[in-house]
Amino acid sequence: MPMAGRTFFYKTESNPETMRRTYLGEFEEIVLLTVAVLGEGAYGVAIADELESQTGRAVSLSAVHAALHRLEEKGMLKSRLGEATAERGGRRKRLFAVTVLGTRTLSDIRAVRNRLWEAISPQTLPAFGI
Amino acid sequence: MKPPHSPPTWATRLLRAFCAPHLLEEVQGDLEERFQRRVTLFGERVAGRQYAREVLGFLRPFALKRRPNDFSQPVSINSLMFQNHFKIAWRNLIRNKTFSAINVLGLALGMAASMLILLWVLDEWRIGKHHPNAERLYRIMENEIADGRIVTDEDTPGILANELKRVMPEVEYAANMVSVENVLTAGTVTTRQKGLYAGADWFRLYDVPMLAGTAQTANSAPGSIAISENIAKTYFGGAQRALGKTLRFDDWQDCQVTAVFADQPTNAPDQYDYVRNWQDFMRMEQWLTRWENSGPGTRVLLRPGADVANVNAKLKTFLKGRNKDINASFNIELFLQPETEAYLYSNFKNGQRDGGRIEYIRMFVGVALFLLLIAAINFMNLATARSAKRAREVGVRKVVGAGRASLVGQFMGETFLLAMLALGLAVITVAVALPDFNTLTEKQIALPLNTLESWALWLGLVLLVGGLAGSYPALFLSSLSPVRVLKSAVRFGPGTQRFRQGLVVFQFVLSLVMIVGTLVIYQQLRYIQQKNLGFNRSNLLRITREGALIHQYPLFKERLSRMPGVESVTFLKTNPLYNGNTTDGASWPGKDPTVAIQFNNTSVGYNFVETMGLKLLQGRDFSPAFGTDSSNYLINEAAAKRMGFANPVGKPLTFWQRPGTIVGLLKNFHFNSLHVAVRPIIIQLKPAKQPEGGVILVRTAPGQTEQALRSTETLYREMNPKFPFSYAFVDDDFAQQYRSETIVGTLASGFAGLAIFIACLGLFGLATFTTEQRTKEIGVRKVLGASVASIVTLLSKDFLKLVLVAIVIASPLAYYVMQRWLADFAYRIDLEWWMFAGAGLLAVSIALLTVSFQSIKAALMNPVKSLRSE
Repeated sequence: MPMAGRTFFYKTESNPETMRRTYLGEFEEIVLLTVAVLGEGAYGVAIADELESQTGRAVSLSAVHAALHRLEEKGMLKSRLGEATAERGGRRKRLFAVTVLGTRTLSDIRAVRNRLWEAISPQTLPAFGI
Repeated sequence: MKPPHSPPTWATRLLRAFCAPHLLEEVQGDLEERFQRRVTLFGERVAGRQYAREVLGFLRPFALKRRPNDFSQPVSINSLMFQNHFKIAWRNLIRNKTFSAINVLGLALGMAASMLILLWVLDEWRIGKHHPNAERLYRIMENEIADGRIVTDEDTPGILANELKRVMPEVEYAANMVSVENVLTAGTVTTRQKGLYAGADWFRLYDVPMLAGTAQTANSAPGSIAISENIAKTYFGGAQRALGKTLRFDDWQDCQVTAVFADQPTNAPDQYDYVRNWQDFMRMEQWLTRWENSGPGTRVLLRPGADVANVNAKLKTFLKGRNKDINASFNIELFLQPETEAYLYSNFKNGQRDGGRIEYIRMFVGVALFLLLIAAINFMNLATARSAKRAREVGVRKVVGAGRASLVGQFMGETFLLAMLALGLAVITVAVALPDFNTLTEKQIALPLNTLESWALWLGLVLLVGGLAGSYPALFLSSLSPVRVLKSAVRFGPGTQRFRQGLVVFQFVLSLVMIVGTLVIYQQLRYIQQKNLGFNRSNLLRITREGALIHQYPLFKERLSRMPGVESVTFLKTNPLYNGNTTDGASWPGKDPTVAIQFNNTSVGYNFVETMGLKLLQGRDFSPAFGTDSSNYLINEAAAKRMGFANPVGKPLTFWQRPGTIVGLLKNFHFNSLHVAVRPIIIQLKPAKQPEGGVILVRTAPGQTEQALRSTETLYREMNPKFPFSYAFVDDDFAQQYRSETIVGTLASGFAGLAIFIACLGLFGLATFTTEQRTKEIGVRKVLGASVASIVTLLSKDFLKLVLVAIVIASPLAYYVMQRWLADFAYRIDLEWWMFAGAGLLAVSIALLTVSFQSIKAALMNPVKSLRSE
C-alpha cells in the first residue's frame, strides 16, 4: 500500500516549475502501459503474456513481478487479491491497476516524447523502407 | 482438484524457502499457471525445466526481503539496553571479586603466555623470508646414497654454482659459499669476525642493499672484499670512507674493500660481516675444483615462473657423468630446498624432510592453545556453576520480552568485556616479561603495538578466547526456561555437572601432559650432560691454530706443555664435538671393492689420546718415537667392526692412497652430537712440521684451570701477537650444542607451571563455590559431631577423583608424545613409570592444597555462624 510519504510526492509534483517526475525505466514503463492495456485482468501471467506478444521478447515472470513490485512501491500501481483458479493450484492472483500518479507519469512521459517528435524536422531522420 | 501434472518438487520447496511469505501465494500461483499452460504446449519435461529456471529467477532482493513484522521486535542494538547490559556486567564483576579475579587472572596469564609464544613463533617463522626474492631462493642439497644409508647435507662441489648457471636456463643467479671466521686488521683495530667466501652473484642473489659500491662488483675480483656497515664503522668510521681501503686477513692476506652492504637482520639464517671473492677460496682449496669433492654450499635464484619440479628432476642426475665416483653402489643426488624452509625444516632422514625447528613451533603453538583452553575452561566452569545466581535475572529478562539472541549477546558481551580486561593485563605482562624472554630465547623480539596487523592479532586473540569461554555459558544460561527458574530454587541436573567435571578432567589432562613433558625433557638433558662422551670434556681448553701458530705449532706445544697448570697439548684438525668430514677413501685387504663404506676422518697431533682422555683398547697412540707414524692410523671400535677386524692393531690400511698400518684401537667416543650414533672414524697423524689450521687442545691440571689459562694466554701473546687471544672450554661448547634443547626445557617448565597454576585457579574457584553452597550442610554435620578431618575429606574427595581420572587419561598421551620427542636422540633415556607417577603426585598434591584451603576453612567455621542466619 502507498505510504504516507507519497503525499509529499503529489505536493512537489503539483509545482510545474520544479516538477521532477519519478524516474521510470524502460521496462517499468512498458509494464505500466501493459497494466493499463489489460484493465481489469492485469496480473502477473497475463502481463507477461501480453508483453511477450507485444514486444516479441521472452519475458520472465520474476522480472515482471519485480517491476510490478517496484511500481507499487513508487505509488504508480495499486493492487488487490483476486479470485483463485484451478490451474493456479487454488491460489489467488494479485490484480493490478494504475493509480492517478501512474496515469500522470505515463502522460508526462508521452508529452515529453511527443514534444521531442514534433521538434524533429522531417529531413533529419534517415528514411527507412515503407 | 489437483491438476494431473505438478512442477518439480525441489524447485517449489526452494521457492517456499526463500520467497517472502507475503509474496508467496501470488508468485507461486503465477508460476503454476504458466507451468500448466506450458505442459499442454511443450510437455511436462520442458515445462518443468522452465519452471525451475523461473523459480531461480526470483532470487532477487524484492522476493527475498521480508515485510517487517506487525509485532514490535526487541532490538538487540539498543543503546538503553546496551547500557543496562554493561551495568549488570560491571556489577557482577565487582560483586564477585574472587571469581572475577580468578577469571581475569587466568585469562590474562593464558593470553600473556600465548602472546609470547605467538611472538616467538612469528619470529621463527619469518627467518629466511625477509629477502625480497625469498620465494625464488633455493639451497642446493645433496643426498649421498652409499653403504645402505642416505646422508643429506648442504655440502656440494665448489664448482657447482658456475656449472648450474651455465647449463640450466632456469637459474638466474648462483653462488657457492663457505662460512669462515677470520681475524681482520686495519690500522690499530684487530677483531675476529664471521664472514663468507661467496660467488660473485651473492649480493644480486640475495638482493642485499648496498651502502657503497655495487652488488655486481662487490666481490667479483680476486682480492676484493665487501664488508658490512658494522665493520665499516668499526674499522674506518663509515661506509663511504671504507671504500678502497685495505683489510688484512689473519695477518697474511690483504683485501681491498670494494663495497659496503647493510647489516644482516639479527635473525637471518646466514650471519656474516664480510664476503670475500670465491676464486680466492678456490685457489687455497684446489681439491674442491674436482666434481668428486664436496664441501661448500650452493645457493641459487630461479627465474620467475621456473618449473621447480623440472629443475629438481635435472638436479637429481646432475652429478652423473661429472662425478667419476658415482657408480652402482655410490650415488649423489642433488635437490632444491627453498630458502624459506631451510631454517625450519633442517632435518632429513633417508633423504626425506624430517622436521627440524618446525617441530618446536608446532609444539609451542599446541602449548599456547592448551593454555588458552585451560583458562577458557575456568571461565566456562565458574560461569555455569554459578549460573544459579544469574538464573533469576535470565527469567525476569525473558518474562519482559528478551529473546534468546539478546541474552546470548548479553552474556557473550560480558565475556568479551572480561577478555578485553584480560588482554590489557596480558599486554602489560608481556611488555614486562619480554626482555627476560628475549634473553632466554636469544632473540630480539619487540612487542609490536603500533602496527595494524598486531592489533588485529590481539583482537583475534580476544575473539578466540571470548568465543571459546563465552559460548557455552551464554547458550546454557539463555536456554533456561523462565517458568522453571522463577518458580523455585534452581537445581541443575547431573548432566551439567558432569560436563563441568569433564572439563576439569580435560584441564588436568593437558596440564599433566605438559608436566610429564617437562620432566622428560629435563631428564634427557641431564642424561646428555652427564653422559660419558668417551673422552674427558672438562678441563679441556680449545684455542684456534691460526696466524703464527700454523707454522710454529711444534714450538708452541713444546713450550706450553712445560708451563704451570698444563698437563698436555695436542692438535686436532676438526672441532672435538663436531666432525662432518666423511670419505670412502679407505681400503684394506678383504674389503668388498664394490661397496663405498663411509668413514669420518680427522688428523691429529702427538699426545692426542692423552690430551683428549680417550681410552685405548689395543695398541698405542701416535708417538715421535716411531718415525713412520705419519702413515699409521688410529681407528675406533665402530670402524673396526665395519672393517671386520677383531684385532685391528697391526692390520694394513690404505687411506687416501697412502698405505699404512693400524696402530691403535680406540674405545668408541662421541665426535658428533648425541642426536646421531657413533660412526666409524679413521684418525691420521698430521706431522707437527706440516702447517695446518685447526684446533689446539690444552688439558689443564684439575683445579689449576686459572693458572693454565694464564700460561696459555701469556705464551699465545708472545708467539702470535697479531691475533687476539680467544679460547673456549670444550664443556661450554658442549652445553652450547644442546642450547635449543635447554631453551625448550626452560620454556616448557615455565609453561607447564603456568598451566597447572591456571588449572588450579579454576579448581580453587569451583571449590570456593561448592563450599559456599554447602555451608549449611557443613554446619549441620558439625553439630551432629563430624570431625574437621571428615569434612575436609568430604569436600576434597570429589575433586581428587577428577584429578585421578585425568592422570589415567594423560599418562598414555604423554607417553606417546614424549616417545616421539626422544626418538630424535640416538642416545636417550627410557620413559619410566615414575615420571608419570611423579607428575601425577605433583598434580594431586597441588590440587589437594588448592582445595584444602577452602575445605579446611569451611570445616573450621563455627556452625553457630553458618546456621544462624537464613
